[in-house]
Amino acid sequence: MEGILEIQNARYRYPHGPEALRGVSIRIVQGSKVALVGPNGAGKSTLFQLFNGMIRPDAGTVSFGGAPIEYTARALRDLRRRVGLVFQNPDVQIIAPTVYQDVAFGPVNLGLARDAIDRAVRDALSAVGLAGYEKRPPHHLSGGEKKRVAIAGILAMEPDVLVFDEPTSSLDPASSEEIMELLDELATDGRTIIISTHDVELAYRWADHVILMEQGMVLARGSPEEVFADHALLRAARLKPPRILDLYHELVARGIVEDRTPPRSVLAFTDCIEQHLHGSSLRTAREAAGTVYICNVDAVDGDAVRRLITERPIGHTGAMGTRAKEFANRELILLDFTYGVIDKCILKSLIGESSLILSSGGMIDHTHRRIAEYSAESGRALIAVTVPEPMPPGSAGRLPGYL
Amino acid sequence: MTMHRLLEDFAQENALRDVNPGVKILLGLASILLCISSPGPVTPLFIAVSLSAATVGLARIPPRFYARLLLVPASFAVMSIAVILFLTGGGAVLVSIPLPIFTLTVTTGGANLAFLLVARVLGGMCSLFFISLTTPMTDIFTIMQRLRFPTVFIDLAMLIYRFIFVVIDEAGQIYRSQRMRLGYGTFSESIRSFGMLAGALFLRTWESGEHLVRAMDARCYDGRFGLPDEAPPVSPTWALGVVLYLGLVAGISWTTATITLC
Repeated sequence: MEGILEIQNARYRYPHGPEALRGVSIRIVQGSKVALVGPNGAGKSTLFQLFNGMIRPDAGTVSFGGAPIEYTARALRDLRRRVGLVFQNPDVQIIAPTVYQDVAFGPVNLGLARDAIDRAVRDALSAVGLAGYEKRPPHHLSGGEKKRVAIAGILAMEPDVLVFDEPTSSLDPASSEEIMELLDELATDGRTIIISTHDVELAYRWADHVILMEQGMVLARGSPEEVFADHALLRAARLKPPRILDLYHELVARGIVEDRTPPRSVLAFTDCIEQHLHGSSLRTAREAAGTVYICNVDAVDGDAVRRLITERPIGHTGAMGTRAKEFANRELILLDFTYGVIDKCILKSLIGESSLILSSGGMIDHTHRRIAEYSAESGRALIAVTVPEPMPPGSAGRLPGYL
Repeated sequence: MTMHRLLEDFAQENALRDVNPGVKILLGLASILLCISSPGPVTPLFIAVSLSAATVGLARIPPRFYARLLLVPASFAVMSIAVILFLTGGGAVLVSIPLPIFTLTVTTGGANLAFLLVARVLGGMCSLFFISLTTPMTDIFTIMQRLRFPTVFIDLAMLIYRFIFVVIDEAGQIYRSQRMRLGYGTFSESIRSFGMLAGALFLRTWESGEHLVRAMDARCYDGRFGLPDEAPPVSPTWALGVVLYLGLVAGISWTTATITLC
């Protein structure tokens, strides 16, 4: 695997301050999802500033794409386009008076032409689910929306690496989940994503690779299962082990489940227990699985969805993405799930209940993919149906997202 | 969020948000010019009434809020007009109030001038409020960019606009945390608390400035700040309406030039 960002033995001391980094070496693989975990003051934010050349290490080297960073104005600008840093506090990062102008800030400074700028802004805003917010002033947005604007401002420069400093800090649980879902979506396009957090639950569930930091040094690195299994290490870093992993180890210790790859989600955990109870052939475990209906809110109106819910045996309704949630809000459709929707619907489907996922755009394909993946892995054929039937190609013109 | 809603908050949500800002500004500015140039009081009064109707009726600004807003300049106007009423002479004597040392008299000349001034102040204020309540600052930046105002000026204005709200929020937070811990209890305590607020705000502003530089660097700042937003197109109805309205006002101004209060 190719390392895109590499730091070797970096040391950094703030002027008149303590040494924030005391010999840090890390290597970030292209296309991976990395979580930098550590308590407050571990040096996570300082390390992030090394990534895009905001600060220069006192000793050690920082390389991007195999070559050491040059600290000239030109090289730094190029680096900062390719390594996008999203600050912890969006109020610090949002500088322009409207959403459009703020997202356009990067592309304008890169010297793009007007229509290229417009395209970049449109793509970035629709990627974060804020299409139609162009003219809003930032002080009229909620915390979660501001965070999305900040992310869009970085996405508009089309970076290869996205670095998020505490992406979910000061967001409510639902907004946090939505932001993490967004990060997952961004990662599927082959981008490298690095986050810092002290939320071990989040890092455990989300990351491919975890780097544990404490007092300016790297304590451990590896897969989340490995790093978070070492309780002594976590205690040293003033962190708690993730609940799911803790519970899993206790169940293994008592011989209730077998020791294999620890599960990362409620879905994986229940499968793991069921597998133990019913043996490995899960196919025969239960009665027929429920169907997952997937509905594109851009192609239907509220009445059609209500008809769908009454006509089919739909027991649960979930919405994925801002557009779908707005749609449900407007049409007064009661939602059972607003985050982790796919997993929850799979869980319902496994106990024979059908559910409906309201979604839009690229998330529809993503949902189908995820359910197909699960079916292949678990050996239980789950049925996912797009409702209403997709329009024949050619007539499927994109409807305006905002009505 | 701050506790009070600002003019700007109403402007962001007014019902005429989607009308081309150039048309609205043209309407407001031309009305002000017609107010000032009108020799008689009828034209400014007509402008005051019609633009107030537009602000409340078309832009859907709450009438109570609008009335409270007008009260501020109106009270100023009344005070200064009282002076003019008694000090300007000319024409027949209307009222005279004998005082021990001198006599206060109101003449027709004084009354007419005072009334004309009240009318102009009202007309002018209504025109200004029409602009500020229907056209948010963000749209005005767009107009300035299109009119080729100096970039430095617009960039600064945009930054100031963005940070006004950050500063208001910060000040509100500091103020509330002072109130929670019993600041502003007595007069001397108020003075001390206010000093602390100003000091804390200065430090935070300084910090924000440093953050801003870093934020701009991280996003490849190269001396270019913003682009004009896309302005909504000029609708023929509105263009025609504004031209007709201004024509009507000019006509009124022409025909009612000699009409005075008394």
